[in-house]
Amino acid sequence: MNGTVTVEGLSKSFPGTSTPVLDDVNLSVEAGSCTALLGPSGAGKSTLLRAVSGLEVPDAGRVLVGGQDMAGVKPERRGMAMVQQRPLLFPHLNVLDNIAFAGTVRGVPKRTARVDAAEFLDLVQLEGFGRRQVTALSGGQAQRVAIARALAARPSVLLLDEPFSALDPELRSAMHALLAELRRRLNPTILMVTHDRSEAAVVAENIALFSGGRILQHSSVELMYSRPASLEASRLMGGANEIPGTVCNGSHHSALGVLPLPCDTAWPTGPGILLARQESIEVSAADGAGLQATISGLQGMGPRRLVTLDAAGVVLRAEVPWGRGLAVGENVTMHIPTSALAVVDDSDTAHLYADADERPSLTSRGRAALTGVGH
Amino acid sequence: MALTLPPDVGVPLSWPSQPGNGLRRSRGLGRALRVLLALALALWFILPLVPLALWAFADRWSFPAVLPQAWGWDGVRTALAQGAVPAFGHSLLLGLLVSAFATPLGVLAARALAYHRVPFAPAVSVMLFAPLALPAFVAALGLNVVLLRLHVPAFAGVVLLLMVYALPYTSYTMRVAYGAHDLAIEEEARLLGASPWQLMWRVQLPLLAPALARAAFLAFLVGWSDYVITLLVGGGTIVTVPLLVAAAAAGTGNDATVALLSAAAVLPPLVLLLGLGRFGRRPNGGRP
Amino acid sequence: MAAPAVLVATFVVGGGMATSLAQSLGLFPLVGPPSLTVAAYAAQASELPAGIGLSLAIAAASTLVACLVGFTAALVIVQGRWCGKLVAALGTLTIPVPHIIGAASMSLLLADSGLLARLFNTGGGWPELVGGPWWIAVVAEYGWKESAFVALVVTGTLATRAVSYDETAALLGAGRLRRLRHVLIPLSMPALAVCATIVFVYSLGSYEVAWLLGRAYPEPLPVMALQLFNSATLTARPEAAAVAMVTTTLSFGAVAAAFAYLRRSTLWR
Repeated sequence: MNGTVTVEGLSKSFPGTSTPVLDDVNLSVEAGSCTALLGPSGAGKSTLLRAVSGLEVPDAGRVLVGGQDMAGVKPERRGMAMVQQRPLLFPHLNVLDNIAFAGTVRGVPKRTARVDAAEFLDLVQLEGFGRRQVTALSGGQAQRVAIARALAARPSVLLLDEPFSALDPELRSAMHALLAELRRRLNPTILMVTHDRSEAAVVAENIALFSGGRILQHSSVELMYSRPASLEASRLMGGANEIPGTVCNGSHHSALGVLPLPCDTAWPTGPGILLARQESIEVSAADGAGLQATISGLQGMGPRRLVTLDAAGVVLRAEVPWGRGLAVGENVTMHIPTSALAVVDDSDTAHLYADADERPSLTSRGRAALTGVGH
Repeated sequence: MALTLPPDVGVPLSWPSQPGNGLRRSRGLGRALRVLLALALALWFILPLVPLALWAFADRWSFPAVLPQAWGWDGVRTALAQGAVPAFGHSLLLGLLVSAFATPLGVLAARALAYHRVPFAPAVSVMLFAPLALPAFVAALGLNVVLLRLHVPAFAGVVLLLMVYALPYTSYTMRVAYGAHDLAIEEEARLLGASPWQLMWRVQLPLLAPALARAAFLAFLVGWSDYVITLLVGGGTIVTVPLLVAAAAAGTGNDATVALLSAAAVLPPLVLLLGLGRFGRRPNGGRP
Repeated sequence: MAAPAVLVATFVVGGGMATSLAQSLGLFPLVGPPSLTVAAYAAQASELPAGIGLSLAIAAASTLVACLVGFTAALVIVQGRWCGKLVAALGTLTIPVPHIIGAASMSLLLADSGLLARLFNTGGGWPELVGGPWWIAVVAEYGWKESAFVALVVTGTLATRAVSYDETAALLGAGRLRRLRHVLIPLSMPALAVCATIVFVYSLGSYEVAWLLGRAYPEPLPVMALQLFNSATLTARPEAAAVAMVTTTLSFGAVAAAFAYLRRSTLWR
């Protein structure tokens, strides 16, 4: 079956809750692609996955696989397989028989099913583990077996529900590599739920960003970071810099001055919030040409440092590598590449300030506090 | 007797339903069959209790009338005349004593097996379950002579035997509870400054209270329900409700009395069971 | 800390068995000097085979009924919804019913003047369920009460994990019947085996139900033992103990067989 998955107007509420878990969700993914369903917990990602698989019956809307409406098709007939955070290996079967399960229940002779299962065991690099009890596996091994078991069902659509979130970072990287290898060889359509932005970017080429039961944005990973469709999308993707101002003639006017916007997009004139990814902002010595700023805070962040900058009353954040002698109070020059800029409507406060000029200059923190959009 | 409690005793009469589940959907014939099956099972469980309810207050119910012809309190009067009140007292005392002894013993054994190095632990486990395998009448029949020669009072002898027959239930219930009990929580409490005494009263007891209540209830039920041990070791001196029911049921024409005594024998533990449902609710910290 | 529990259990279980054995071998006579003899066993040798056969048959039939009905009920309960809630609630209702009360109710339900005979009004043609040759009422009582036990225990093991495994199996392409056969039954098997053992051993060694609902001859072992125990003859006590020892042997044999089965099962921790 062709693994194009289309979701149309899907809604779902659970009894006893006032807000719907899924609210008119539309999504279309191509066969053989990998899409990450990203969002905070409770956003409805897992429910969407369960609705696609048929485990959950939606209140409204439909799910199409390969153009075929799945309404009334039982979960076991949908040609899908799911791997969840818990591997859920059947405790009464050994590793090989777990992988052979899909074949067995389809009436394939046991011997054939096992030969087939052994190939998938090799595929997940667990040769020789077939006769082991599932209780004798480590977490990473169990998850590999669960993936092998799902793939052995020959799904046209593979559903992954936070499959690696219980694994430690090294194992997780190994699993990402394994998944890439499996995609190259078997090429199923993959829908993967995750709340980890970096995992979504590593595994998938597209991201569907969820919040409050709706999809905020569905685009390629690159666009998701470089062109967030809304302030909320930007925040969910970790964007830290929001500068209010107005757009005029393809440039953004704000306290920072006039900054030209990428010319590949036609930016509508009017009030807009400038977004600048903190990873892209370059900080250099004070003598260079560019925006002058003062360092008002420093914070370690793994391999990089988060520098809080004060530029003309606007608070900005930039990530810079270690090894550069920065100090609080130091004056620096900062450079924001045009390619790192984007503008979104200020949906939170637009109705409060009909006239753009009267807008107070707010930092992203301050605005969050003002409008109650917490994290 | 084989005893158990519903797995989710917190809400004994309502089951967590899986919301809108695609696997549990059925239509047409399949659905009708499932409903029929459920109704048949419901009937299977409730049917034997129906005659009790009908007979208990039937003064006249001659064959082949489907329903009693005259309702009244004859059954109550006969039951009282046959000594229902002292029998109730005996049953209650037996149940409470068995519970009072078997619960702490079960708790101690379970805690030892869960947290301490017990010598011959497998043998200890086997011994705690052994009463399930030994028919009660064998123990009663064999020990009867010994208890008589040791001049153990009949009541004490009955309590001793029943206590042992309650041990599998109390120790198992508590072992499950200790198995699910996270020792890290106790360590956390110690690090927060709780003394061992406070640890027990403020952490262990509240966390284990539902399991304790279940264990105590099961032990009570063993004492309350017993027939053969009371009969043999009691030697006829201790008349409990089950003995009274058995005596009445063995005769003829006592149907109303039997039904009334039976219904009365079921009610107190049923009330306790429902109370257990209220009390046995897991403390809902963590998740709502 | 386990010592007090183990001590009393050893006294009652070990002591009970030892004294029964001693009595059956003539080492604990009511009167006269003790002497080692198997006379008590020999005296009952002609009665024992029928008693053993009957006891095993009643226990096996009761276990079968309890497990079949109980497992079905567990499946219905685990499905949830109002059907499951109803079955769970009514199954729970049987927990506090003592077996002797259950037997008395069965008598009121199944006897030839019982509720069912009245409902179906067969005009005297009601089958002999209570005290009949097939021990129907006895098996019905054990089956009724213990099916609730089986249902609740199996529900307990299934409730926590059945749903997730059921879903996983469904997504791997298993239909309803396949899921039952390949997932739900294997997952329930250890709990079912433990339940079956407990039910079998209980109905094998229980006295009051068979005494109240059974017929005078042949007698199941516990009834036989207690009749001998209560009889006026002095030689009958060792014979009662001998019957008790035979029952004990059967009971422990059943438990040993169950253990042997469970040890092979991979699900047994």
